[in-house]
Amino acid sequence: MTSGVAIVGVGHSGFSPIVAGLSYKELMFEAAQRAYDDAGVHPRRDVDSFVCCSEDFLEGTSIFDEYVPDQLGAVQRPVQTVSGDGLFGVATAVMLIRSGVARVVAVEAHSKASDIGSLGGIELFAMDPVLNRPLGVSPLAVAGLEMNAYLERTGLTEEHCAMVVAKNRRNALDNPRAAYPADVGERQVAESSPLFWPLKELEVARRADGCVVLVLASGELAPELTEAPVWVLGCGWSSGSASLESRTWGEADFVRRAADMAYGQAGIDDPSEVVDLAEVDDTFAFKELEHLEALRLAQAGEIAEMLESGEVETDGELPVNASGGSLGQGHLFEAGGLARTMECVEQLRGEAGQRQVEAVDVAVAQSWRGVPTTSAAVVVLGTGEG
Amino acid sequence: MTGKRVAVVGAGMTRFVRRAQETGKELAWEAARAALDSCELTLGDVDAVCLGTAPDAFDGVHMKGEYLSDGCGALGKPFIRTYVGGGSGVFVGIQGWYSVASGMFDVALVVAEEKMSSCQPHPQGAFLTIFDNVLERPLEPNLLWIFALEMNRYMHAYGLDKRDIAAVAVKNKRNAADHPAALLGQADITVEDVLASETLAWPVQRLDVSPISDGAVAVVLASEDVAAKITDQPVWIQGVGWNLDTAYWTNRDLVYPEYVENAARMAYAMAGVTEPRKQIHVAEPYDPFDYKELHHLEGLQLFDRGKAPEASRDGVLNRDGDLPSCPSGGLLGVGNPIAAAGLMKIAELFWQLRGEAGARQVPGTPERGVAQAWGDLMQVGTVVVMGTEPPDGVGGAPPRGGRSAPSARSARLRAPAPADPASLPVIQTPPLAAGGRPLSEAGFRSAVGAVEHAVDARYAWDTGVAISTYLRGLQSGRILARECDECERVLVPPRMFCERCFRPTDRWTDVSQTGTVQTFSICHVSWDMHPLDMPELPAVIAIDGTDGGLLHKLGRISPDDVEVGLAVEAVWKPGAERTGSILDIAYFRPRGEP
Amino acid sequence: MLDKLTDPALVRRWGGEIPVRHRYTPGLAGEAFFTALRDRGVLLGSRCEACEYIYVPCRLFCERCFAELTADTEVGPGGTLESFAIGYVDVEGEPLDEPVTVGLVMPDGADAVLFHFIVEQGEEPLEIGMRVEVVLRPPGERTASILDIVGFQPAAG
Repeated sequence: MTSGVAIVGVGHSGFSPIVAGLSYKELMFEAAQRAYDDAGVHPRRDVDSFVCCSEDFLEGTSIFDEYVPDQLGAVQRPVQTVSGDGLFGVATAVMLIRSGVARVVAVEAHSKASDIGSLGGIELFAMDPVLNRPLGVSPLAVAGLEMNAYLERTGLTEEHCAMVVAKNRRNALDNPRAAYPADVGERQVAESSPLFWPLKELEVARRADGCVVLVLASGELAPELTEAPVWVLGCGWSSGSASLESRTWGEADFVRRAADMAYGQAGIDDPSEVVDLAEVDDTFAFKELEHLEALRLAQAGEIAEMLESGEVETDGELPVNASGGSLGQGHLFEAGGLARTMECVEQLRGEAGQRQVEAVDVAVAQSWRGVPTTSAAVVVLGTGEG
Repeated sequence: MTGKRVAVVGAGMTRFVRRAQETGKELAWEAARAALDSCELTLGDVDAVCLGTAPDAFDGVHMKGEYLSDGCGALGKPFIRTYVGGGSGVFVGIQGWYSVASGMFDVALVVAEEKMSSCQPHPQGAFLTIFDNVLERPLEPNLLWIFALEMNRYMHAYGLDKRDIAAVAVKNKRNAADHPAALLGQADITVEDVLASETLAWPVQRLDVSPISDGAVAVVLASEDVAAKITDQPVWIQGVGWNLDTAYWTNRDLVYPEYVENAARMAYAMAGVTEPRKQIHVAEPYDPFDYKELHHLEGLQLFDRGKAPEASRDGVLNRDGDLPSCPSGGLLGVGNPIAAAGLMKIAELFWQLRGEAGARQVPGTPERGVAQAWGDLMQVGTVVVMGTEPPDGVGGAPPRGGRSAPSARSARLRAPAPADPASLPVIQTPPLAAGGRPLSEAGFRSAVGAVEHAVDARYAWDTGVAISTYLRGLQSGRILARECDECERVLVPPRMFCERCFRPTDRWTDVSQTGTVQTFSICHVSWDMHPLDMPELPAVIAIDGTDGGLLHKLGRISPDDVEVGLAVEAVWKPGAERTGSILDIAYFRPRGEP
Repeated sequence: MLDKLTDPALVRRWGGEIPVRHRYTPGLAGEAFFTALRDRGVLLGSRCEACEYIYVPCRLFCERCFAELTADTEVGPGGTLESFAIGYVDVEGEPLDEPVTVGLVMPDGADAVLFHFIVEQGEEPLEIGMRVEVVLRPPGERTASILDIVGFQPAAG
């Protein structure tokens, strides 16, 4: 046994560019209902603790955690909010279960991005108020600077980033959930408008509305709840420097540390030998490549070959973002990590339909919180207890 | 599964001040460093970092946990910010507890920070956005409304005397005179001073309220495996509990905080506390307002319902009373940098239970204490029980594996525990950072390099099925509700799901336009604290024939004539002026008046 | 699952905002940095002896080891371009009239970078690793702001 925790239910709603006619509460209720059904639990009776992942300014409500319990069946129960991506919620659930304070935990994250009228202004508000914000430039500048530094360090090119876009949008064609499936050529990507060169329009995941709820259970209980528990073999998270000034540029050192923590728990020395499937953050196309390296699934020098040879395609050696990733499914803000985890669960259960990858025993999901942050979480999932 | 036992082994805090010169990062570092210094650990000894901090709208940074992370010592470490509004400060102690109890980390650094002074023109303005975006914010509520409404309900239900409530503010401000970090300690304050202070939102007066503050607090938690290497006087976390009630706060009777009771029962069960009134020796209940301390003492099962005010009057809660309550001085006296104030309560129990609280030390040898915080829309209870003995019933080995690799540990943590505990460092008292440097209003305005921004945060919220339909009903002069067949309730405001049964609700129904005043306030300030020419009369109105109620204002009545239980009816705007808004109801007035 | 709205005309959106503004003090280290920038036109940093790392702007504490630091080290005015990017859109994604170039510049003597504009580029294309130097506003026009720095320009010669 590794973490001694398994995922026993998944549910989602939305995954559309705009979900119209449902409030965020109603979006959450539907995802929760599906997840509880999938796990065979009733929240009023069986779920010991609830973890929601959100940020106030993405909701337009201060102390947003006020508004979460009702639609999750969590009224007068232990409920908390994690200000982070959903994978930090998974990490929290793992700790709650291991501490003995809960046996079954529900984790929720959502995006109602279509409610937001000034996302750029809000993201600017995440920059250091005294040192960075007065420049008044789009926070996409941080992505452009990171991309340029990354390409410079690795020798990879804009063409390789375009290949990621083409792959993920194409993969999304096989994912009935995906918001942005398309057959996009690499040339189209290259010719799309520069936003913060070298970053271009088609390399940026477009936002979508959606909600994902996971149900996790202790190792003792999981086999009673489902015939197909998906085990959390390892779960790691880490932060880099908060400051633009003193962080490591061109390299996701915080992803590396999160991954090493997760692999350590899972007893994995060489993940490239063990991992069958990876769902990694691709908020920006180059990030998928940077993250693959940090996850120790590829060395920088191998990435070009992996892209060109088809190794990272759904039928390749190491399928990466078979779901379509954020580029194909839509950028779901704090729900991104849970969407990737849900994909891994479905793949491990053999329920991924058209995009099912063959012989998946171990899958990795990773999240990053977008510019200007340096925090990441990684889970390693498997069909065996490890 | 059962987890590791967890002890508090160090604590530190900045002064609480009205306006700090430091950035939020700097405040967090000052407290975190003081906490580590207090137990002679280094940042390299820390395996995980936990942050509690309240709304981003205070500090004025989106994703402020990310922004504050370096000041918390999170660089290169597992770091999570948790968030339960005003309950965050005690909750982050719970987060630290489960991080260590999980067996994944041996040492957790737990930090809480708030820099409320950043928010302009007045931090109260940020609280407008805690109310329901569609149904409540158009009424321009002030945060004081909910406290005044709850306080009035509480006073009405038990026929309480405001003097007994004011005595809490007096006690805490006097206690705080002994706290080196306090913003508002006042040794000579009297009940008369509180009763003579400006009425903000009746029954809430200025000295009933804790002050806006900046500050940070940190504690160090350690697993049973390493605690003995750090100190010979660990203070154990014996039990934790947390609980969140419905967001539909106007559907609840505000007279009693059930969520605090639920959280307390969870924590007591874990701690093996069966008779809290005998087994709890010192309490740090949450006291942002004086009545809240009493409310919470009842929720914590330390007094019968409605009986805590008597205890306040009789001195039971004094530092030398039978149940010392807020010996620190609490939020009312030390200050209220929201999350930091909550964690300060855990730090205070640490010092009290070690006998290190100096002039604040409660007499006798307290062996067990309870810290509690509260938050959201009268919704959250967070409770930690701490004691000098390790808890029974938990402990032992969590699942194998999953432990993080130790970081750059100091030699003391790598070595076995010393045979002679006296060789361990003595905790420095008081572990107060030099930080929390106060600026005057003028100094704040003229600080070199200070900048001002207005966030561009605009929204167009999808009102969804339930509220879109409700708003259309209002436009046509009707109040619509949803029925749940399983619990047989009629729900106002309507929702498409029943939160009690977790199932879709069944049908729409037209309900009465009459109701009863559950509680009310007479408010003299606007949402952003500007004085009002005419006081407003916010009220919670139970709609007749339903199980619900809503927040609105009363009209066509003198403030002197309003009372709890008053029968009222909706007064609608003319049809042509209605827009499908809660403001289509102009106000509620006494029923049957011409 | 829930009953849904079936008439598109019934879908409703409700507008709102977060109606606050904020005033930020630059903190103990920030005041030292901006005072030196305004009054002396220098970039002030902080050296952490234990970590052998020089921060710029100066810091009250080392984020790596938590040591207390002072504003003890002047860095720059020359430096190295560590990365750059050319912006074509504003904060809300609308096209800019003129592209704007930003860069990460590691001032000489520092281990950290400054995030700022790259100005006066001339004919030569920018390259990562090239030498740049700080451009300041004239002394009388400085207000103790990060905008007292106009940007960085390619170093002469």
